[in-house]
This record gives sequence, structure tokens and C-alpha cells, in this order.
Amino acid sequence: MKPTSIGRRAALLAGLALPALPHPAAAQMDAARAVAFIQATGNALADALNSTTLNAAQRRERVANALRQAVDIEGTGRFILGRWWRVASPAEQQEYLRLFEETLIRNHAARVGEYQGVRFTLGRSQQRTEEDVLVTTLVERAGVAAINLDWRVADVNGQPRVVDLVAEGTSLRLTQRSEYSAVVQRGGNQVSALLTAMRGQLQQMQARQ
Amino acid sequence: MRFGPLLAAALIVIGLAGCATRPSASDPEALAEFVANNDPLEPLNRGLYEVNNVVDAVALRPAALVYRAVIPPPIRQGVRNALGNLRGPTILMNDLLQGQMDRAGRTAARFLINSTLGLGGLVDVAAWQFGIRGHGEDFGQTLATWGLGEGPYLFLPVLGPSNPRDLLGAGVDAVASPWFWFGQGEVVEILRWVRTGMTILDAREGVLDTLDTLYATSLDPYATLRSAYRQRRNSEIRNAGEPAPDAAPGTGFGVGIGATVPPDTPPLVTR
Repeated sequence: MKPTSIGRRAALLAGLALPALPHPAAAQMDAARAVAFIQATGNALADALNSTTLNAAQRRERVANALRQAVDIEGTGRFILGRWWRVASPAEQQEYLRLFEETLIRNHAARVGEYQGVRFTLGRSQQRTEEDVLVTTLVERAGVAAINLDWRVADVNGQPRVVDLVAEGTSLRLTQRSEYSAVVQRGGNQVSALLTAMRGQLQQMQARQ
Repeated sequence: MRFGPLLAAALIVIGLAGCATRPSASDPEALAEFVANNDPLEPLNRGLYEVNNVVDAVALRPAALVYRAVIPPPIRQGVRNALGNLRGPTILMNDLLQGQMDRAGRTAARFLINSTLGLGGLVDVAAWQFGIRGHGEDFGQTLATWGLGEGPYLFLPVLGPSNPRDLLGAGVDAVASPWFWFGQGEVVEILRWVRTGMTILDAREGVLDTLDTLYATSLDPYATLRSAYRQRRNSEIRNAGEPAPDAAPGTGFGVGIGATVPPDTPPLVTR
């Protein structure tokens, strides 16, 4: 992602602060900030989902916007393509990121109905690693068992962003990387094979909506 | 090593089906991925996966759909509770073998309470009235905590994702269960088959929505299942997260996929 002016300013500030601080603040995520961010995101999503004044299409659009703001789509997309990112041509990279974003948004927006009436409860522990914070939540819905859902939050250009979702110990980005890599390999190690498959999937989704 | 026969069988199978090609060391990233996937038998596994899909499409999924449509939720919940209760002794054995005395105590208490007050396990009184929530445990997990590796990934029709360690674990669990030894005669034999059938039906019903979503959204469901199974399994071995439902055999072994579904063991009574 091209650094935004805010991002650049944050980086500059971080650079200035460097001699004084042992760790550059902008490159790290502290737990309290990550938790506040997840709470704000969760509230935004819940508001959109549980709104009674919006129709289904408006709700979908709200959810899509909330996702675009909360998720590091480009970084996550690149992580998921993994070692094939460098194999891809610049045109393929652009096309991949476009398809990835649309798939992600559509996948979630299409399932808006399923998420209605969800309740998030912050978990007991927040684990911190070098680069990010894992915010644990318990997701409850009426009539369905509660599940453990962990949000991996990293600092992206000075802003907290979701980089992974971990449901009951299963990381979405790891699973999806495995999936995409299998498609590339079975398509003769061609990234174009993945792009074709993604396009086909999007068409199917569009047809269904 | 006790894995001799399994290893021999695996070698024969490899000879018959062919292996996935191991990338050369000159491509470290490809090699790392190959090692992480741990699926040297991929061509065979994908074949068995296709077989599974056929069996699933003609028998298991339709049966689960009918089961869901015909049997009201409270009764299905009762069946799930009862099946979970029957697994109690197995869970207890594995809690003990892993040295988890606190969890063993909870499992024993649950089994005693639910077998009696819970009408033979139909009602999860232990969680509902006593707040003792269940968890799953199996000998595959016990072997893992003892340091045994999982071996190559296996996909088996009807049983789903597995590996030699978990397969061996399931065998040990089956033979070590008191229900394997208890009673004899035609009626007991029939009850055993009923339990096996209901276990498969319940497990498949439990993953209906998850699998439907998976097949609708994944570009390569085989690869997604493989990754999800391993991650979920590792999280179960670590006993991570909140207690897992003890009525859900689906994740360790069985039709399960490693994704989260099988409901908790909530009270039968709705608010």
C-alpha cells in the first residue's frame, strides 16, 4: 500500500522519536489499543447488522465499508498468496488484489443474515507477539454454541488493522494460503490458474445474489 | 517401534498410488510448504477424498438433512448429549493418561451426574445445573502429548481427515471403552450398531452448515480441510480455548473436519 500522508507523518514521527525510545512506537501494537479497535469494529459491525432501519442491501454496504476500514486487505492478500506473490507479474498482482478484496467483501456481506443477533464478549487474555496482538473474543448467537474467535491486530501504516481471524484455533489466513497455493500448484504453478478460479467463483457469487 | 505394521502398510500404499513429488532443496519455500502440508500421499488422499464426496453426496449428507428436518431439535440435542455421555469413560481415561487431574475430575463428575440425574445422558444436567462443562479428549491427543508425531496426513472416506497417530488413537479408544467389553448377545450387538450409526448421523448433521459453506466458498476444499484439520487438532491437543463440547467426536476423528460446529452442551430447556 502506498503510504498515506497520515502514514508518512506517523512514520516520520516514529523516526524522530527513535533516539529517545528503545522501540519505534509506530511499528508496534499495544494490547489496549488493539482491544479498543476491535471493540469499535465489533460495534460498527453489530450496529450495521442489527439495524432495523436499513434494508438488506444497505446493511450489506455498511458491512462492506466496515470491513474495508477494519481489515488490512492488501497485506492479508499478499500474505495469503505467499511465495507466489513474487512469481506473479505486476499485472497479475494487481488483478489478484482486486479479486481478493471483492471475494472477501462479498463472502462476508453475502452472509450478513447469518450474523444477525451476534454478541461479542472480550476474552480473558490478550496475547502479544512481536508484531501484533491477538484479541480473543467469544461470539454468541441465539440457538448456536458460542465459539472462540480471535482477532490478530497489527499496526499498518500507523493504524490498527485486522490481519487474521482465528476461529477455534484455526487461522483463516493460513487455511486460505494453503487453499490458494494448492490451486496455483494444480494449475501448473501458474498464478493465472488461481485468478481464473477466483473470477469463476465471483461470477457464481454474483449469480446467486 | 509399534508403528511397524502401519509403516509397512503405508509403504505399500505409496508404491501403489504414487507419491507427491518432493520439491528440490533449491526451492526452500516450496520445500517448506511441502513439509508443512505433510501430505506425501496426496494423490492417494485426493482419490479417497473423491470417493468420500460420492458417498457423502448419495448417503451421508441426505441422511443428515432428513435427520435435521424430521427430528425436532430437543430430541437431536438429547441424542447428542447421550452419545457424548457414552464417550465419558474414554474421555476420562485420556484425561488421566495426560495427567490432567482437574479435567479428569470434571469428566467423572459429568458422567456420574448425567448418567443418573440426566436420564442416561439425555440431559446434560452437569452443565445445566452444576456448571460443569464438558470437553473432548481422545487417545490420539494423548499420544500427541506424549510426544508422538502425527505421521503423514490421511483422508479416509466417511471418517474424514486423519493421520496414523489419530487413527491408532481411535482404535485404542474403541477397544479401551467399557462398552466394547460390556454385555453380549444380539440386543447388545444391535445397540452397538445403533450407536455407531447415530454417531455418524449426529456428526454429519453437526457439520452440515460448515461443510456446505466450505464447498461453496473454497477453491480447493481438500486443501482447506487439510489445513483446518491440522490447526484445529493442534489447538485441541493444547487444550486451548474454552472447553470443547464432549459430545462432538467430529473433530478428532470422524466425519468432522476440524471446523467448529458441534454445539456446546447447553441445557435442553430454552429460556
